[in-house]
Amino acid sequence: MTPRRLAVIGLVGATISIVAAYGTAFLPGGATDFGALLMVFGIATMAVSLMTLGAVRDGEKLGILGFAFAFVFIVLMGGFALAVMLPDSDSATTELFLGLPPRAAIVIYGIGFLPVLVLPIIYAMTFKDRTLTEEDIARVKAAAAAHAALQGPEDHK
Amino acid sequence: MIPLNALLQTAALPPLTQPVIVGVAVAYFVVVALIGAWATRSTRTARDFFVAGEGIGLIPLTLATMSATLSGFAFIGGPGLMYSLGLGAMFIILPAAITNTMSAWVLAKRMRLLGEVRGLITIPDALRVRFRSPAAQGLSALAILIAVIGYMATNLLALGLVIDAIFGTGLGWGIWIGMAIILGYSVAGGIMAGVYTDVFQGSLMAIASVLVFYYALQAGGGVEMTRSILASDPAFFGPWGKLSPLAALSFFFVFGIGSLAQPHVVHKFYMLKDPRRLKWYPLLTSVALMVTLLLFFGVGTATKALVVQGELAPLMRADDATPTFLLRFTPVLLSALVFSGVAAAIMSTVNSFMSIAAAALTHDLPMSVGKRVKNELRWGRMSTIAISILAAVVAQASGTLVAFLGIFGWGLFASTLVPALAVGLNWKGATREGAIASIVFSIVATLLLETLGYLKVFALPTGVTVSGISLAVSLLVFLGVSRATRGGAGSEIDADVRMVMDT
Repeated sequence: MTPRRLAVIGLVGATISIVAAYGTAFLPGGATDFGALLMVFGIATMAVSLMTLGAVRDGEKLGILGFAFAFVFIVLMGGFALAVMLPDSDSATTELFLGLPPRAAIVIYGIGFLPVLVLPIIYAMTFKDRTLTEEDIARVKAAAAAHAALQGPEDHK
Repeated sequence: MIPLNALLQTAALPPLTQPVIVGVAVAYFVVVALIGAWATRSTRTARDFFVAGEGIGLIPLTLATMSATLSGFAFIGGPGLMYSLGLGAMFIILPAAITNTMSAWVLAKRMRLLGEVRGLITIPDALRVRFRSPAAQGLSALAILIAVIGYMATNLLALGLVIDAIFGTGLGWGIWIGMAIILGYSVAGGIMAGVYTDVFQGSLMAIASVLVFYYALQAGGGVEMTRSILASDPAFFGPWGKLSPLAALSFFFVFGIGSLAQPHVVHKFYMLKDPRRLKWYPLLTSVALMVTLLLFFGVGTATKALVVQGELAPLMRADDATPTFLLRFTPVLLSALVFSGVAAAIMSTVNSFMSIAAAALTHDLPMSVGKRVKNELRWGRMSTIAISILAAVVAQASGTLVAFLGIFGWGLFASTLVPALAVGLNWKGATREGAIASIVFSIVATLLLETLGYLKVFALPTGVTVSGISLAVSLLVFLGVSRATRGGAGSEIDADVRMVMDT
């Protein structure tokens, strides 16, 4: 199965998971940890699926992008799952990590910061070979010229 | 459950009428006017007016994107929410770690290239060429127009509150003065003026945020800030703050995935001069956003710590967190910069909305019924005036109605544009019928559910928002209808558009 096909399936699964997560809130007693985990799975899968659809071309393999997407999935799934499952024992004597109690540190530094150290760097590293090659630009310029010649540009005065 | 309208600034700020604050604000408005005057001379065509002549560089794109993304909420409402909800409030901004790279992969390149191939200037333009559907263009323009009026109204109300607090003008005059200032440079210089004022405004916001964060750490006592809060209110630093897990995650979903559908931000991809410059866009935008959001976390947390340490009296209203902290714990010049930064954030957002709403009115809606406006530049300017006056009138309506319209707009952007635009530009299996069905569903569902909720006909359970549900179900409608109509005429894609999608 190609990465793009997998991404479409992932997008469908993620969307269903998020709808189901919201659905659990309508059950007697309100949303449970299971509902939260469904939402976590849905968000992580949807983000990775969308990035895959955007970054990987037809017939291409994931390559180093697979590392980036796996990293995001693990950070989101793992970070949120830890936040759900770790015991609620924060107090004034809790050992702090960079100024925050452990669960807050996982959320702020793990989910809110770590991806910035990886995703934009991999985006830049792969940009010339995977995102926009000189051949792509040449094709686009040719298509723009052809469109202008055939139909006239959509001029805006 | 925190209602989403708590994210909007609708209550008065404490008076800020001090000579330094007034002086800095006046100086700020003068600089904006000068930039506007300069940009006006460069605006000669509708393409200049709506997409800055496709001539901006990476740094202006980065700062303009950051400025348009952040409204006054990042400086006033956000720290207030942090003060009252603890870490739960961070779920609004946490997705920033991934959203900029995600939007670069999903939208930036394709929109920029599609714009070049077909000479596009609006988001609905992209939907028209992708799905070969004037109806998709018209419906999405309608949704954008409805959403923008409400969203602009909430931002003009917030700007009126800031101007009233600084100059003591009264709220009504504050709204109209604020609107007139933005209108002045937007009508004359269009998005060109907007982008370059955003560069100035974004720089101001980032510098002010870093400095305030430093003072917040100093005032709160560094690590002692955390310990004092943990001693008196440990839930503040719980992983979800004072929200339920589902409510916090719902914020992450709506603001994370929904970031792909903010037309005032996404539209800026058309403006980049050279698409190769996108290489460093995610890194620069992510860093700029994070730096500017330091104030959100720092002031909210420091104010909470100062209250539990007995240095500050408990706040009467959460939105007082930023003004109270700034006036008590930072030099007056810095607080003056921040208050100008709040105005800057609001003005840059409103300017972007003016541009996309004017384009929807003068370009997209006529095109969707097979008409073209002869002089889009002149009509674009006139539309900008009309839309701004309408939004200012709405802003003067009661606070709850304005808040309702703002929330309505927020949800509508996400549910209308994420499926058809973000998924549609990247998935060749998407069909015209899927796009139209999801847009129509979004408009109807958001309008119906938000209105019924506003009228208190029903209340959603804890953790559930109309924005979140509409976005998720709209995606399901898009995927399901596309699957069901696959292979028909609605699946066809023009060769040049297919080439861009394959790139």
